Amino acid sequence: MSAILDLLPPLPALFGQILIGLINGSFYAMLSLGLAVIFGLLNIVNFAHGAQYMLGGLCAYILLKYFGVGYWPALLIAPVVVGAFGVLLERLFLRPLYRLDHLYGMLLTFGVALVMEGLVRNQYGSTGNPYPEPPSLAGAWNLGFMYLPVYRAWVIIASLGVCLATWYVIERTRLGAYLRAATENPKLTRAFGINVPRMVMLTYGGGVALAALAGVMAAPIYQVTAQMGSEIIIVVFAVVVIGGMGSIIGAIVSGFVLGLVEGLTKVFYPEASTTVVFIIMAIVLLVRPAGLFGAATRTTAAGESHATAASGLRLSPPTVRNVTIALIATGVLAPWVVYPVFLMKVLCFALFACAFNLLLGYVGLLSFGHAAFYGGASYITAHAVKMWGFDPLLGILAGVLAAGILGLVFGWLAIRRQGIYFAMITLALAQMVYFSAVQAEFTHNDEGIQAVPRGHLLGLVDLGNALNMYYFVFAVFLLGFWLIHRIIDSPFGGVLKAVRENEPRAISLGYDTDHYKLVAFVLSALLSGMAGALDALVFQLASLTNVHWTMSGHAILMTILGGVGTLAGPIVGALIVAGMENYLATLGAWVTVIDGAIFIVCVMMFRRGIVGEAAVLLRKVRLKRKTEPVLAPSTKGATS
Amino acid sequence: MGRVSPFILEAEGLSKDFGGFLAVSGVDLRVRRGTIHALIGPNGAGKTTVFNLVTKFLQPTKGRIAYNQRDITQLRPAMVARLGMVRSFQISAVFLHLTVRENIRVALQRRTGTSFHFWRRGRTLDSLNERADALIASVGLSDFTHELAANLPYGRRRAVEIATTLALEPELLLLDEPMSGLGREDIGRVSELIREVGRGHTVLMVEHNLSVVAALSDTITVMAHGQVLAEGPYAEISKNRDVRAAYLGSGHA
Ligand SMILES: Nc1ncnc2c1ncn2[C@@H]1O[C@H](COP(=O)(O)OP(=O)(O)OP(=O)(O)O)[C@@H](O)[C@H]1O
Ligand SMILES: [Mg+2]
Repeated sequence: MSAILDLLPPLPALFGQILIGLINGSFYAMLSLGLAVIFGLLNIVNFAHGAQYMLGGLCAYILLKYFGVGYWPALLIAPVVVGAFGVLLERLFLRPLYRLDHLYGMLLTFGVALVMEGLVRNQYGSTGNPYPEPPSLAGAWNLGFMYLPVYRAWVIIASLGVCLATWYVIERTRLGAYLRAATENPKLTRAFGINVPRMVMLTYGGGVALAALAGVMAAPIYQVTAQMGSEIIIVVFAVVVIGGMGSIIGAIVSGFVLGLVEGLTKVFYPEASTTVVFIIMAIVLLVRPAGLFGAATRTTAAGESHATAASGLRLSPPTVRNVTIALIATGVLAPWVVYPVFLMKVLCFALFACAFNLLLGYVGLLSFGHAAFYGGASYITAHAVKMWGFDPLLGILAGVLAAGILGLVFGWLAIRRQGIYFAMITLALAQMVYFSAVQAEFTHNDEGIQAVPRGHLLGLVDLGNALNMYYFVFAVFLLGFWLIHRIIDSPFGGVLKAVRENEPRAISLGYDTDHYKLVAFVLSALLSGMAGALDALVFQLASLTNVHWTMSGHAILMTILGGVGTLAGPIVGALIVAGMENYLATLGAWVTVIDGAIFIVCVMMFRRGIVGEAAVLLRKVRLKRKTEPVLAPSTKGATS
Repeated sequence: MGRVSPFILEAEGLSKDFGGFLAVSGVDLRVRRGTIHALIGPNGAGKTTVFNLVTKFLQPTKGRIAYNQRDITQLRPAMVARLGMVRSFQISAVFLHLTVRENIRVALQRRTGTSFHFWRRGRTLDSLNERADALIASVGLSDFTHELAANLPYGRRRAVEIATTLALEPELLLLDEPMSGLGREDIGRVSELIREVGRGHTVLMVEHNLSVVAALSDTITVMAHGQVLAEGPYAEISKNRDVRAAYLGSGHA
């Protein structure tokens, strides 16, 4: 009897954590509710949701600091201001994207989130800006077994009220009926004289306002920081995967419950408190892939295709050869002109982007979790080389294998869901790896694994020498690049292209497409791991930067900037992104803003990327030259 | 086991419930080996859903499906395809950014057992070209071998679909509205092709063009509101009152 009681934590601590859990749960619920409403009507995942939550808090902070406007008015003003901003965003940026693959909406809002976070960090720094509790809600009630701060009680009750009100509007009112009708059948709804585009715009604004409201309510509890949005949004994605996006009630219930579970975990097993939501997500994916409240997913039987913007591009063998020769020549000569360490960074990034492109460009899978493979491998390699005295090649091998194993687990879980869900799941799983790295001992938290020895290649070549190291990195890069090219060209690659073009048809030809996707995913993880392992040796450091979600963002950025599905695109993208990181480092958070702006520009008007656009331009010029003199018969497609 | 059943596909009591909406309810469908069998019915009758169910792209809520007397109710769709029941899709069943030959090769490649070989050169599959080109010729597309499917008109894409399906040497072909979107000339060409295919294979097709159905099919099953309304040869079906009311009455006759 007393033994059991001993196991229990003191009651005040328990109730304290339950309270914190419920508070977090309130915000999870409000945010996932907004996401679900937006997703229901617009069919996009609003990646900017976290940033808009942050803007809500910031708005309250500014109102108080510069205008002396307090909490209660801010509770109204901030959602209106941020919501209006959302309306503008929808009108100007999202609307043109509806006819494209849903992934573009996600990429665009990701870019918007980066811009907003970067701008705010520039202006207000990344330390917290405290926001006082409203005086009318100060103090605490003594409940006998614990003190209940009045403000916290208010947050829980108010957010529950907001959630239920939203549910009521959508499920029980005429406005909600219109909304649901527009979701089911926009054409028909329009025929009844309802302005669907305006409804879509206002819905987005409403969802955004909801996020901003949560932000205002969160300000007195968490302080206002630039990164408060990106920290919470990833957890909210996991909540949404667990609850299933189709259901309003599902979003509310899973938000509160998961917050509570998180709080309880902090009491009973604190080490897991940051990862428990992601672990639950993994379990739910195993037993009920559609989510706890999700209806059976629609089939892809309609012949939905994931074809990316560049899928029509083809390279003739001579072009491939020329690109390769140019690449090798540049790579061999470059260290005589440019600082080798910078070049090595470019090569690591380029290999990473090429590996990522294998997945996005040739299978049509958008992973938001590749940082886990890059960073995971860099940790393992660093540890193996430094602590176990592995030779550099073996160290790299260890890192690559670790990335492969992670890739197998991620892929096995994530491939159960498609499109945006796939992206959200990979992001959440990678965040779990990130938190594990924060927690694990061998990673040394913020310091990282430092002073990683580069060692001697095969016991002969001293890699401490910058040029030796450079040529070694270059050789490994070429190996990786060649492997990727071989994979794309192989019989396996042929099936991948078919899957990308028309997955249901590939299934109907007898291919278990999930297995092919899984193998591709693991290959991509292995190659990303190769890049990460090199990174650890080059910089003699494995740190949290490499496992952070921004690294996954880099992989995407490099690939779409250079050109999805092109051979050389990711390399060009890597050159630019690494260059920006290196030479614009003094600009601080402006780099994040520029990254975000590039995302937006690429998605809005530049979907083929630099190399893709260049190739199209070149082909047009050539075609003109060829067809002008001779009276051309039918022009023969894009093949050559 | 006893003698071979004359039916290649037998579905019993098939039902599909989409969150409370019964798209298909209690459908029995038997397709006789070596025939061309048409499935007709007004829009939303549940024809495509039946296709999705028997090919296992959707899991039936109720019912049992047997193919060649083997129960396939629990199989994965790719496995069903490997057993020899291959379907096309109402919208598109070509790989648009592959050439005609590459489209066919994707199908031929499966039997080689090298489809997971990511370390091999693509050229190792060139041995399939001869067979691919023969199939392309058989559907009259020899002039377009190296053309991207995206650059072909709809009628020719249908031919690519059919050639791709034939490359798998299936026993049973399921065609979902092979004539939709085609002009008159193309309809003639594709009809001829289906008739040709029907000599060596069993065909189950959904089709709205009744003259095509009348000309090609041995048996017709009529569906409405997720249920089977009637079944029989064209002459019989066209006289059926219920059918006229549900389908022919609405302007098609
Ligand atoms: N995945 C799905 N989820 C929900 N409802 C569906 C789904 N697929 C089909 N339905 C519904 O089931 C009904 C039957 O659809 P189905 O596509 O089978 O009709 P059909 O006979 O093929 O029509 P058509 O001639 O227009 O192709 C329709 O009302 C359709 O809206
Ligand atoms: Mg149909």
